[in-house]
Amino acid sequence: MSLSETAGAKMADGGTEAPKQAFWVRNGHFLLLAPGVVWMILFLVIPLIMMVYVSFWTQTTFAIKSDLTTKSWVTFFASETYFGALLRTLRIWLTVLFFTLLIGYPTALFIGQFVRNKTVQTILLVACVIPFWTSFLIRVLAWRPMLGKEGAINIVLQKIGIISEPIEVLLFTELSVIIGMVQIYVVFMVGPIAFMLARIDESLIEAARDLGASAWTIFRKIIFPLSLPGVVVGAIFVSVMVLGEFATAAALSGRKVNLLGNIIVTQVGSLKWAFAAVVGVILTVVMAIVITTLLRVVNLRREL
Amino acid sequence: MHRLTSLRWILAFYTALFIIFLYGPFVVMAILSFQQGPEGGPQFPIIEWSTFWYKHVLGFAPPSRIAPLPIGEALTRSLTLAFATMVVSTLLGTLTAQAFRTRFKGSGVVFYLVVLGMMVPGVLLGLGMALVADQFGIQRTWWGTAFVLHVVYTYPFAFLVMLAIFNRFDRSIEEASWALGVPPGRTFRKVTFPMIFPGVLSAMLFALTLSYDEFPRTLFTGGNQVTMPIAIYGTFAVEIHPNLFAFGVLTTLFSFALLVVYGTLMSLSIRRARARVSGIQEDVT
Repeated sequence: MSLSETAGAKMADGGTEAPKQAFWVRNGHFLLLAPGVVWMILFLVIPLIMMVYVSFWTQTTFAIKSDLTTKSWVTFFASETYFGALLRTLRIWLTVLFFTLLIGYPTALFIGQFVRNKTVQTILLVACVIPFWTSFLIRVLAWRPMLGKEGAINIVLQKIGIISEPIEVLLFTELSVIIGMVQIYVVFMVGPIAFMLARIDESLIEAARDLGASAWTIFRKIIFPLSLPGVVVGAIFVSVMVLGEFATAAALSGRKVNLLGNIIVTQVGSLKWAFAAVVGVILTVVMAIVITTLLRVVNLRREL
Repeated sequence: MHRLTSLRWILAFYTALFIIFLYGPFVVMAILSFQQGPEGGPQFPIIEWSTFWYKHVLGFAPPSRIAPLPIGEALTRSLTLAFATMVVSTLLGTLTAQAFRTRFKGSGVVFYLVVLGMMVPGVLLGLGMALVADQFGIQRTWWGTAFVLHVVYTYPFAFLVMLAIFNRFDRSIEEASWALGVPPGRTFRKVTFPMIFPGVLSAMLFALTLSYDEFPRTLFTGGNQVTMPIAIYGTFAVEIHPNLFAFGVLTTLFSFALLVVYGTLMSLSIRRARARVSGIQEDVT
């Protein structure tokens, strides 16, 4: 590839400026890369390193001093509240991940495999994306009149006669946080899976059918394995967003459900930087484990 | 899968339910935005249908105890920020993706460094940046510390979109241009750019929407001057009113308009490309 480029460049200059041109061809990508890489190091890597560093600083009432200590770490793991928040975050994350996959997969299967018309496929996907144009926070708040004691769901269920008394556990509980998160994030699961399913070569499935495979076998042996990269990408999206969540929990649980994100926000609010950094590092570690595990299943670069 | 008609109908029905699930809160929100004001709250039943909250959002309503949303300032800030983020991240994304077209050592490291930007939760990045700003005495502003984080967040998306575009890109056309003696800069303008334009447009749209709605990063780094999402988040702590819902409906309509513009530009670009190809063919024959 680079050979033909060099040749082309040389031809272009008629040989006079050949060294300069060759230099550009050989090292051009460094110049192209430099702005992005520098930006990411300055504004992504350094802040994260800073966070790890500050988590070992000494916290006084309103300030932090750069004397190293593990006090904030001890506080985190010794405290029922904070350690409980870690466990709660993990529990809610797994629940949301499970339900987004469970609810999202059939839709993705329909869009990717059963709709063969490209236009209809696009229309369905766009239909899934449209709710995203409403601000995230407003979408979260819109769940309150849905789930409340006199909310839409209770009204509808009572009208149909399924229940006589309104269900009260719907709002300001862990359940409401999970419902809200599943609805908000499920599309991130549907999109990648539908994309992978739509790419499956029709002839593969036909061949399997001609060889006498049942629908279930086709799904298990061909469709599901080939959609796996989509599942992984979707899972990464959902995990990243749910693990770093705090707004949904704050809005739909009446501040009863505290996730790691909520603790960070509260601690920053009261200028407890060192402690916030500890929680941040723990969240980063959880995140890193989750993503590297998921990336082991699929090579993201190859799938593009 | 034509033989599985029953399964097909079940899944179609399921998908319909799924879409209702997605739109449910939105529909409820739209209904409640017509709640009577200013006494009506964001819940059922509707006391009386009115457009009070729309007037309230747009600043036509008579003053009441409910503070108006800071549409003027916060929205301007959000849009400015989103626009700047869009330009910078699309530029960075295109440059980096262009570099990835040749194989080079360490490409894996650079790839994951860039992709990391979209994988790190916003609250972490916001915290990290706030710590850096705090320690180095940098003022936290929406156009400074928040802006750079917005780019960190949207640039990976632009990069991935452009990478996907370049992967499906026929290199020989560019090579032909070089071979014909067209300098690289001119080749990029005249050959490469028109071909990648749809991708650039998608990358821009991605960056714009993500940045406009961005909020955990901005929360810690935006300083005193709030952007729109932060202003909305501010209402979480106090009582919420249907003016938020009216605002939500209005922004959704606005996004619709934006998508129509995007769709038109996209189809125009495709049509123009087709016209050009057929024009070339006519020239040749």
